[in-house]
Amino acid sequence: MIDEQARPSALGEVTVQLRDVRKTFGTKEVLHGIDLTVSKGEHVVLFGPSGSGKSTILRSINLLEIPSSGSVQFKGVEYGPGDSADKSVTRGNPLELRRSIGMVFQQFNLFPHLTALHNIVLPLRSVKKLSRADAEEKAAQSLRDVGLLQWAGSFPAQMSGGQQQRVAIARALSLDPEVMLFDEPTSALDPELVGEVLGVMRRLAAMGMTMVVVTHELGFAREVGDHNVFMEDGRIVETGGRGFFESCHHPRTQAFMGSVL
Amino acid sequence: MTPFSVRSVTYDWGIVWDNRDMFWWGLVTALQVSAVALVFSMVFGLVLALGRMGKRPGSILAAIYINVFRGIPALVSVIWVYFGWSLLVGFNFSPFQAGVIALTLLYSAFFAEIFRSALTALSPGQSEAGLALGMSSAKVFFFVKLPQATKIAIPNIGNMFIGMVKDTSVFTVIGLVEIVRVTQNLNSTYFQPFVLFTAAAIIYVVLAFVLDFLFRTLEKILSTPTKGFMATLLTARRSSRINKLIEVHDNSLSPKIF
Repeated sequence: MIDEQARPSALGEVTVQLRDVRKTFGTKEVLHGIDLTVSKGEHVVLFGPSGSGKSTILRSINLLEIPSSGSVQFKGVEYGPGDSADKSVTRGNPLELRRSIGMVFQQFNLFPHLTALHNIVLPLRSVKKLSRADAEEKAAQSLRDVGLLQWAGSFPAQMSGGQQQRVAIARALSLDPEVMLFDEPTSALDPELVGEVLGVMRRLAAMGMTMVVVTHELGFAREVGDHNVFMEDGRIVETGGRGFFESCHHPRTQAFMGSVL
Repeated sequence: MTPFSVRSVTYDWGIVWDNRDMFWWGLVTALQVSAVALVFSMVFGLVLALGRMGKRPGSILAAIYINVFRGIPALVSVIWVYFGWSLLVGFNFSPFQAGVIALTLLYSAFFAEIFRSALTALSPGQSEAGLALGMSSAKVFFFVKLPQATKIAIPNIGNMFIGMVKDTSVFTVIGLVEIVRVTQNLNSTYFQPFVLFTAAAIIYVVLAFVLDFLFRTLEKILSTPTKGFMATLLTARRSSRINKLIEVHDNSLSPKIF
C-alpha cells in the first residue's frame, strides 16, 4: 500500500484531499480505499487500464460520484461522507465545492441547444450571477483565450471534436476554478485533433493551474505530471513524481507502460 | 320506378360558402378549446413525467394516472366532466370549460409519456456537465434538460395537438358549438349531410396540414444550427449581438491568456 499521507507537499497548501475513499456499485467495490492529496499548483496524472477506477476517483473529487465511505476534503472542508462522529470538521455542500472545481469530460458535454458563446454565458449567469452583458463579455474573452472567438455563434454540432473540447475547457475556466479536473479529455478525439486540446492544457499547466488529469496520453503525462498515479482494479499501485515514467519499478506499471508506449 | 333506384339528389355546395361564418366560428372554438387544453396538458404532463421518473409513491401514482387516463375515450371523459362532476361538486361547467378539462385529463397522460421519453433520451453527461459547473439541479433541469427535451418532443406534441383538435368533435354532445355541431345544425336546416360533412372533413384536413406546417417551422426554429427563413429572422438579434462581440474582442489588444 502506498502511503499518500507521507508524501511531502513541497508545492504549497493542500487543496483536494481524499482519504480512504471507497465506492461500491451494487455489491461490487470499485474503489478499495483511495488516498490522494493534491497541492495548490500541482499537476496530478492518473493512469492505468480501463475499469481501474481512475474516472471514479476524479468524479469523487467534485462529488458527481458520492463515495460509499471515506473523506473528500477541499481546503479543509469535508464534502464527502467523512467521519460523521468527528464534529471538529466543517461540512460543506457539494454545490459550493463544484463552483471552485472545473471539470472537462471525455464526451465534451457541451449543451447542444446553445451556441459556443451561450454555453459559457449560461453558467456565468446562473452560477456567477453576472448580468447578460458582463457574461457575454467574459464568455467572448474566454473563447478568445482558447482561439475560438470566431466560433462564438456556432453550435456544438458545427464544430470539430477538438474545438468542442476547447470550448468546454473555456467554459470551465470562465468560472475561475481553483482546480481543474480532466476526465480523458482527448480519448474521444480523432488523432489529429488531440494536439490542439493538449496544447491548451499544457499552457494551462504552465500558468500554474492545479490540475488532476485522467489520461492515456503518457507523453503529456511525462511532460506535465508532478505527481503520477498508476492504478489498477480500484487500487493505487504505484506513485511517483517527475521522472516516474523512467523510474517506476512495479512490474504491473512497467507492463502497462510497455503496452501503451 | 325500378326497385333499386334512389331518389335523385342535388348537391348544393353553395350552402357551405353561404354559411362560412358559422364554420369559421366552429373552427375557432375547436382551436381555442384545444389550445388552452394543450397548455394545461403540457404543464400537467411534465409534472406527471417527473413524478413517474421520481421516487415512490409518486412514481406509482403517476403511472396509475397515466394508464387510466390514456384508456378513457374523449366522449366518455367529457360527459363525465360535464354531467357527472357537476352533480358531484354542485357547480356547472360551461361546455368550453368542460371541454378543456376533459382534454387536459386525457392528454396530460399522453404528454407525460412524451416528456418522459424525451428526458430519458438525453445523455446523462448533460446534467453532469451542468452540475459540475456548479448549477443547482433545478437550474440544470430548466436551462439544460427541458429545452433539449422540448425540442425532441416537438413532433410528438404537434401530433397530439392535431388529435386534440379532432377530439373536440365529440364535444358536440355537450353542446359546444364546434365544427361538428355547426355541421349538424346546418344539416337540420338544409338536409344536405354529404355536402356539409364533406365540408367539415375538409376543414379538419386543411387544419391538420396548417398545424403540421406550424410545428415543422417550430422544429426548424429550435433546431441547432437554426434552419429556414423564419428561424433566421427570429435569431437575427442574437446573431448580431454575437457578431458585435466577435468584432470588439477580435480587435482588442489585451493579451490572450494562452
